Amino acid sequence: MTHHPLPQPDDIPIREKEDAMGAYLMMFAAVAVGLPLPVINLIAAVIYYFVNRKKSRFVHFHSLQALLSQIPTTLINWGLVVWALWIVFTDLTLTPEFWSYAILAAVATVFYFVVSMIAAYKARQGKMYYFLLFGKLAYDIAYRIRDTPQSSEPVNKPPF
Amino acid sequence: MTFNIQYAERQSRLELLLRSFFGFLYILIPHGFLLFFFGLWGAILSFISWFIILFTGRYPQSFFEFQVGLARWQTRLNARVFNLTDGYPAFGMTHADPAVQVDIPYPPSLSRGLLLAKLFFGWLFVLIPHGFVLFFLAIGVMIASFIGWWMILFTGSLPRGFHNFIVGYMRWSQRVNNYMGNLTDEYPPFSLD
Repeated sequence: MTHHPLPQPDDIPIREKEDAMGAYLMMFAAVAVGLPLPVINLIAAVIYYFVNRKKSRFVHFHSLQALLSQIPTTLINWGLVVWALWIVFTDLTLTPEFWSYAILAAVATVFYFVVSMIAAYKARQGKMYYFLLFGKLAYDIAYRIRDTPQSSEPVNKPPF
Repeated sequence: MTFNIQYAERQSRLELLLRSFFGFLYILIPHGFLLFFFGLWGAILSFISWFIILFTGRYPQSFFEFQVGLARWQTRLNARVFNLTDGYPAFGMTHADPAVQVDIPYPPSLSRGLLLAKLFFGWLFVLIPHGFVLFFLAIGVMIASFIGWWMILFTGSLPRGFHNFIVGYMRWSQRVNNYMGNLTDEYPPFSLD
């Protein structure tokens, strides 16, 4: 067996379900502190991950998946912020390329919002929910059985 | 809710002077720096909890414990700021302080209707009436703190009445914060006790 068995919804305490759900809601962190910068959400997701990952594998999986899945949206939105600032401080011309990118960013954000809401709902029910790519990666990291090195040579030795 | 700061029969004059003249360096700046970031995190959790309560009717227990830990830390700090007790306030969310007891019972469920009422009309039925009284109490606390400082300097202790008044004000403010922060559904009483 390469991975730990998955817990079933009835086996997971409500506290863990709530902690897993909370991971996806970190996408509202920027709104909470009143700073509409995409990086705030990512920082909040990183903090949340490191605070909660030891609680259980279920919480570890969901908080890691929430963190990883935020990276592409954050990068896309940062691109939009930088581009918008560039326009503001240069020629103030909104090109069709900019609008195209802005629509892409909006669609990506809405899509991310929807799948995160579904994941938060599933996590609250104690269910696994796998995102494309990130789901497998998060599952592997959270549930993989790590081999502990079996060394016959003791590390600590007496002085003589 | 339990909120109490133990009355100190004797206080050190030297600590009082140190706290008063250099406290901002060794108490306020390090604690304030950390509490700023912990407070931001608390604000994020509180904001997210609002939506969670709306949909599930429960305050997530981990989030709740964080808010209680934050309240304890702030109270430990305030106890020194108001010269209610000696000693250096411990850093962190889990440290126990024998002089300061703050505990908020975890509510198994919270009212969604009340949650919305607080959002839209909280300023009307909580913030204005309580804020009005707390404003005048705060003036009283400032005067009591000022006079209390001199009394500690000359007699080595803060009069018990002053102590109870300042602690009562802090308790009252905490109860209002708990209610508006959705940590409880119990309307805060107009009382120092």
